Amino acid sequence: MSVLALREITKTFPGVVANERVSMSLDAGEIVALLGENGAGKSTLMNVAYGLLAADSGEVLVDGEPVRIRSPRDAIAVGIGMVHQHFMLVQPFTVTENIVLGQEPGRFGVIDFAEARKRVREISERNGLEVDPDARIADLSVGMQQRVEILKALYRGARILILDEPTAVLTPQEVRELFEVLRALVDSGLAIVLITHKLDEVMLAADRVIVMRDGRVVGETTPSVTDERGLARLMVGRDVVLRVERGSPHPGDVLLEVDDLVVDDERGLQAVRGVGLKVRGGEIVGIAGVDGNGQRELVEAIVGLRRPKSGRISLKGREITHAPVRETIAAGVSHVPEDRQRRGLVLQFDLAENLILGDHARPPVATFGVVHRKVVEDIAERRIRDYDVRTPSWRVLAGNLSGGNQQKLVLARELGRDPELLVTAQPTRGLDVGAIEFVHRRILAERDEGKAVLMVSMELDEVMALSDRILVMYRGEFVAEFAAGEADAERIGLFMTGGTTREAEAAVAGGGAG
Amino acid sequence: MLSEVINPELFASAIRMATPLALAAIGGTICERSGVVNIALEGIMLIGAFFGVVVALAAGSTHISWLVAASPWLGILAAVVASVLMAGLHAFASITLRMDQVVSGTAINLLALGLTGFLMVTLYGHPGTTDPIPVAINAVFNFPTPAGGLLATAWSWIDQIVFSYTPIVYAAMIAAVVGQWALFHTRWGLHLRALGEHPRAADTVGIRVLRGRYVAVLISGVLGGLAGANLSIEQVGSFNENMTAGRGFIALAANIFGRWTPIGSYLASLLFGFADALQIKLQAFQSVVQIPVQFFLMLPYVLTVVVLAGVMGRAVAPAEVGKPYEKE
Ligand SMILES: Nc1ncnc2c1ncn2[C@@H]1O[C@H](COP(=O)(O)OP(=O)(O)OP(=O)(O)O)[C@@H](O)[C@H]1O
Ligand SMILES: [Mg+2]
Repeated sequence: MSVLALREITKTFPGVVANERVSMSLDAGEIVALLGENGAGKSTLMNVAYGLLAADSGEVLVDGEPVRIRSPRDAIAVGIGMVHQHFMLVQPFTVTENIVLGQEPGRFGVIDFAEARKRVREISERNGLEVDPDARIADLSVGMQQRVEILKALYRGARILILDEPTAVLTPQEVRELFEVLRALVDSGLAIVLITHKLDEVMLAADRVIVMRDGRVVGETTPSVTDERGLARLMVGRDVVLRVERGSPHPGDVLLEVDDLVVDDERGLQAVRGVGLKVRGGEIVGIAGVDGNGQRELVEAIVGLRRPKSGRISLKGREITHAPVRETIAAGVSHVPEDRQRRGLVLQFDLAENLILGDHARPPVATFGVVHRKVVEDIAERRIRDYDVRTPSWRVLAGNLSGGNQQKLVLARELGRDPELLVTAQPTRGLDVGAIEFVHRRILAERDEGKAVLMVSMELDEVMALSDRILVMYRGEFVAEFAAGEADAERIGLFMTGGTTREAEAAVAGGGAG
Repeated sequence: MLSEVINPELFASAIRMATPLALAAIGGTICERSGVVNIALEGIMLIGAFFGVVVALAAGSTHISWLVAASPWLGILAAVVASVLMAGLHAFASITLRMDQVVSGTAINLLALGLTGFLMVTLYGHPGTTDPIPVAINAVFNFPTPAGGLLATAWSWIDQIVFSYTPIVYAAMIAAVVGQWALFHTRWGLHLRALGEHPRAADTVGIRVLRGRYVAVLISGVLGGLAGANLSIEQVGSFNENMTAGRGFIALAANIFGRWTPIGSYLASLLFGFADALQIKLQAFQSVVQIPVQFFLMLPYVLTVVVLAGVMGRAVAPAEVGKPYEKE
C-alpha cells in the first residue's frame, strides 16, 4: 500500500489550470522523480500535498486513509515534510534552534537547550547528515542549510519527504552527498519525491519517474528502460538538443576591459583580488568556479551594482568604473542576475512592468517622464511570445509565475534590449531542458551578432558548452584560463577547488605517469 | 559647583527619568522582535498617563476612605487598561488589516494627542494641566537616615541611588531582567524572535503568526501604560497636555541603541535619562554660564540623533520588521 497517494487533484489559478485531475502514488523505500517543463504544475502539486495551497478538488491519502491537509501543520502531523527551494530557515538562529522550532523540548515554557542539542545530534548522526548544532544559519553554505531543512523534517517525524529542485543551488560535490543521504533515507523506509530539471540526476537517483505536462501526468517510466534523451522527449514532446552546436567565433574589438579590480563583499572582506579580463565582441567568456569565490562581487561591480575598491572597468574604451546602473544600461550593458527573485524581478509588479524595467525612462517606452502604456504592452506581448513565457497574459504578477518562467522573463527583458555586452550569472538556473536549449541558442546568437558575453555559471557543462574562453575563479582570483578546445572538466574542476597548474598537469598525465 | 551637579540626587534622578523611556523601549523591543514597528508608543504612553490621572482624581475625590487611599493604584490600573486598548487598536490596524505600521502608529499618536486634549476640556473645563492627584505614591523603601559621619554620607548615596524609588521604577528594572531572560530562554521568546525574522518559516512549523504578534503588541501596551502612569502619577502628580513630549520616539531610539534587547534598552534609556537629569541640574546654572535654557532642553534629543546616526547601519533589525504577514 502506498504511503502517499494523490487522487484527481485539480487546482486552478485565474486563467491557468495548474493541475488537472492529477493522480500519483508513492511507496515507502522509493525515490520518485517528478519531471516536467517549466510551469507544468510540479510545485503546485507538491504544495497541495504539503498544505501550502488548497486544491479545488481531489483527495490526499496517507497510508490509504483520506486526510484533510489544510496547512503545513496538518501535513507535518501526518508525516509529510517538504524542503522548499527558498529555504524556510531563520537566518540569525542556530541550527538547533531552527530544527526544534515549534517543538522545543523543555518544561513550563522554558527551553531545555542541552536536550535540544542532544536530539539534533542524535538524528544528524543516525542519518549521516553532519551539522554543527551551534552554528548560525547565516554562516552556513547553501548545501549545509539544505541539510538543516532535511533534519527539520526528520525531527518532526517525516516519513514522506518532498524536495523541490534541491540541487539547483548545490555544487556537484554537494549534489553527490545529497543523493547518498537520500538513498540512505529511503533504505530506512522513507518515501521521497524529488523535483529536478537535471536529467542526469534523474537517471542517477530516481527509482521511478513521473512526467507532467500542462498540468497533467503524461507518462511514467523508470531510469532502467530509458535514457536522458528519452526523458527529454517525454517531457517536452519533441526531440531536444541537449548540447547545442556552436560555430567558431569571430572575435572583434575589445568591448569590456577590466583592470586590476578589487571588490569587497558585504562584510568588508576582499572578495575580488585584483583581477583583469577582456571580452571581445563576438566572443563568450565563461567564468567557472565554486559558488562564493568572488563571482557575484565581480559581476555586480561590472554592472554598477557594487562599488569597486580600486581598479578600472571600461566599455568600448570609455571608463564606467563608478558609473551608475542607469548609465551602464544606456551604454549597452544587460545583466541577468543569479537571484531572479531578489535582484531580477519586482515580484509584485505585473509582467509588462517587469519587462520594461531599465527601459522605463527612455524612448520609446517613455518621453518626458511619461510612460506610454500601449508601447509597454506591445513590447511585453512580443517578449513573452519570443521567449515562450508560459502565462495567460502580461497582467499576471511576476510572483505568480513558475520558477522557470520567472527566469525566462528576466532573460526576455535583458536580451530583448539588444545589448552590446551581456553579463549573466546562472542564466539557466531552474529552466527545463527545452528552455535551456532555447537560451543557449539565444546566447550564441548574440555572440554571432558580434555582442560580447560574460557568463558566470556553477554548471561546468554549461560553461564548457558555450564559452570560447574559460576563466577559472578561485578565492577572488583567476587561477587558470582555457581556450574552448583545450578544456576538460577534470582539469577545470581541479583548479576550481584550489589545485595548482602542476597538480592539474599531474592529474591529466596521471593515467600514464601514475 | 561640581558637587552641586554631581551628587547622588543626579544619579537617582537619571534612573527616575530613564524609567518611562525604558518601559516603552522594552515594549518597543518586544514589538519589533515580533515584526511589528510600534511608532504608537508615544500615544500609548500619553493615553495611559491621562486616564491614570483621571481615575486617580475621580477615586481620590470621593469620601470613601479606602477608595481615596487606593486612588493612585487604581490610576495605575486604569493607565494600563487604557494603553492596552490603544495598543490593541494598533495591533488590529497593522496585523489584521495589514495597514502600513508607521501610518497606523502615527494615526494613533495624533488620536491620543487630540483625545486627551479634548477630554481635558470636557472633563475639567480647561486645557493645560489637571489638578494634582490627592494621594501620591510613596517610595517603596523608607529607611531612617543615620546621623553624621562618613558612614552616613556613604549610606545617603546608597539610599538615594538604590532605595529611593516609587514602585514602577523597580518594575522597569524587573521588566528588563525578566524580559531578557524570557526572550532568550523560553519558547515564547524563541517563537517571538522567529516571527520577526521569518514569519513564513514560523508558520510552516505551526507557530501562529498573527496571534504571536498580537500578544507582543499588547504587552507593549501594558509596559506603555506603566510608563505613562510613572510619568503622570508617580513623577509629576498631575497630567499636562502632551506630557510625553517625544519620549515614545526616544524610547524607540533606545531600543535600537540597545540592539533590540530588554537589558540593552534599559541601559540605553539610562543614558538618555542621565542626559535629561544633567540638563535639569545645569539649568540651575543658566544665569552663571549665560546659555539659554532651550539649549539644555535640547540635550536628550540631540543625543538621540547622535546615537542613532552612530549606531544605525551597524545594528541589525529583525529582518521582517514592519511587514504585514499574509498567508499564501
Ligand atoms: N500563486 C499563483 N498564482 C497564479 N498562478 C500561479 C500561482 N502559482 C503557480 N501558478 C501558475 O501555475 C502553473 C504551474 O506552476 P508551477 O509553479 O506548479 O510550475 P512548475 O512545474 O513548478 O514549474 P518550474 O519548473 O518552472 O518551477 C504556472 O502556469 C504558474 O504560472
Ligand atoms: Mg517549481
